[in-house]
Amino acid sequence: MTSTEIRTRPGGAGTERAGTARRVSVVVAAVAVLALAVVASVTLGSRPTSLGDVLDVLSGDADPFVTTVVESRYPRTVLGVLAGLCLAVGGTLMQGLTRNPLADPGLLGINAGAAAALVAATALLGAQSGMGVVWWALAGALLAGVLVQGIGAAGGGSGVVRLVLAGAVVSAVLFAFIQAVTLSMPEVFDSYRYWVVGSLGGRDFAVFRAVLPFAVAGLVAALLLSGGLNSLALGDEAAISLGAHPLLIRTGALIAATVLSASATAAVGPVAFVGLAVPHIVRALVGVDFRWQIPVAALAGPSLLLLADVVGRVVMRPQELMVGVVTAFVGAPVLLYAVRRMKGNA
Amino acid sequence: MTGVRAPARPERAAGPAAAAVPRGMLRIGRLVAVPVRRRSLVIAVVLVALIVVAAVATLSMGRLGIGPGRLPQALLGGADGKEAFVLERLRGPRLVVAVGTGAALGLSGALFQSVTRNPLGSPDVIGLGAGAGAGAAVAALFLPGVLPVPLGALLGAAVAMAAVYFSTGTGFRNPGRLIVAGIGVAAIAQAFTQYVVYVMEREAATVLAAYVNGSLAARSWHHAATIWLVLALVVPAAALIARRLDISEMGDELAQGLGAEPKNTRVAAVVLSVVLAAGAVSVAGPIAFIALTAPQIARRLTGGTGAHLTLSALMGALLLTVADLAAQQLPTATSLPVGIYTMALGGVYLGYLLVREWRRKRL
Repeated sequence: MTSTEIRTRPGGAGTERAGTARRVSVVVAAVAVLALAVVASVTLGSRPTSLGDVLDVLSGDADPFVTTVVESRYPRTVLGVLAGLCLAVGGTLMQGLTRNPLADPGLLGINAGAAAALVAATALLGAQSGMGVVWWALAGALLAGVLVQGIGAAGGGSGVVRLVLAGAVVSAVLFAFIQAVTLSMPEVFDSYRYWVVGSLGGRDFAVFRAVLPFAVAGLVAALLLSGGLNSLALGDEAAISLGAHPLLIRTGALIAATVLSASATAAVGPVAFVGLAVPHIVRALVGVDFRWQIPVAALAGPSLLLLADVVGRVVMRPQELMVGVVTAFVGAPVLLYAVRRMKGNA
Repeated sequence: MTGVRAPARPERAAGPAAAAVPRGMLRIGRLVAVPVRRRSLVIAVVLVALIVVAAVATLSMGRLGIGPGRLPQALLGGADGKEAFVLERLRGPRLVVAVGTGAALGLSGALFQSVTRNPLGSPDVIGLGAGAGAGAAVAALFLPGVLPVPLGALLGAAVAMAAVYFSTGTGFRNPGRLIVAGIGVAAIAQAFTQYVVYVMEREAATVLAAYVNGSLAARSWHHAATIWLVLALVVPAAALIARRLDISEMGDELAQGLGAEPKNTRVAAVVLSVVLAAGAVSVAGPIAFIALTAPQIARRLTGGTGAHLTLSALMGALLLTVADLAAQQLPTATSLPVGIYTMALGGVYLGYLLVREWRRKRL
């Protein structure tokens, strides 16, 4: 994979001023879209409510039924924001780090790791509560992420196909384990099949509170590393001459990306393609400067996930299409489009 | 599956070892003379012997098994009631399906890897299995009783392949694009399958989940006839293009100069590969990794270049028969579909392979 078609290096200094004005307007627009997405997530659903209803609920004088309906949408909205942020920022880090436009947490074994840990915990310990699930998924996701990176780095250097295939290998083995357990134990199968589609529904604020510290730590680390990632994009030697520590930055960003992706998967289950598509959109909008990419991704990711969730709630009313299904159907074409634009032999 | 494939290729791997490979002619009557490498022949014979051993074990192990001593007599028609039931209904068809499906998958993978010049190109990797799963899900959820699940799987596989083909923009030519496009198509297919498993009742969902892994349980002679018919149609065609395929691996210009028509050969090979894989899917569901690993092992055993079609087919048959033996005889709580075993073993083997290739900086 040559890095020509997707610019991973900061552009020339001549465009700097015009670029800043543009970026500021992008940030303003991103904030507006996010606000809109949050409002839509609270307002729209299988039982339609109007904006007036929501305002009534907020001021406290709506009828109890409407209040219950609207308030039931709070947890999923908050979780959607958190998970979207984690996935988008994690994806941005991963793509910047590997200079691999296809790096997505879902392709790198994180989801399989979370699922395998979850299945093992449910089968062996009978962990049924929402909270136990979160912790197990988090641990499994982190472990699998480290394993995939380890295999992917086994030969030195970094290639596109290599990481993706390492992810495929680890995922294959873990999925064999998952299938073996779930097909032998119907109760485990039941909880697994509801988790694995990836959904914002049916979760409460406790899940949000459990994952929040990890997400915040990951985001802070990403923001701190953004300057370093910029110099790393110039190549290791240039980065060293600029006073950066390539190994330190790379390791830190990898850990941050894994923690972020693992938090998202633990919170809402595997959700494909948000981490893949958002960085592409963000790069097209604000360019390759990580000091802009990361904040904008943190705004755009939640918008995308919330809007996908709203679409899933509305298209098959009164049934609900899970957000993981919606993002796969929207995101995979984006991936295929990216493939068409790949040059050379990858 | 009796012939030995003609490997009469100019040896690309130069060196004293390659030059010293003993060659001979396999003669059948006066008209047919097939040049073979002695090493390939020996490996082929060993593989056939191992398949026979695995087959005997499949029929004779376990509580219902027919002892090896009784087996020849039972096969020749002297089977009593219980033995006849085991042989004709229970394990016989399953074994025949396993051997045929394994051979089809191995051959399919060998053709595909030769065309893509990519040791990792296989119908698995580019989303055929996931497409089959989604097709099965469609059949099970939306058209229960109307569209048979295996036919749905077949259609799903075809749709997935078409989607991959058209989304790369270069057909099946570019390995990197192929893999990534396959991942994209597989993601859609899997999301859909998961959704269907989510909304179905638990019982039906379990059945579908087992099918989606690829299973050989409860196969009938009907299935066996299907897969062997596919093999009977494809194997002669594959034998016809085998030589051109080997030459095409050496590069378009050279192959063109030698009259191998590389483009047409490639298209023919992909079509044959997809037909084989689709046939395998229709009788056994999407079984993971056989098509990927069998040609790899065959290639390593012979140490030569080329597509190794015969050896890959034999290796695929052996792998699937052994995996199915494990699926039948290992003491698990419930009998698991054979696809789980091939997925686990194939995954481990693929990982080993990748690490090794990367150490040598070949990928």
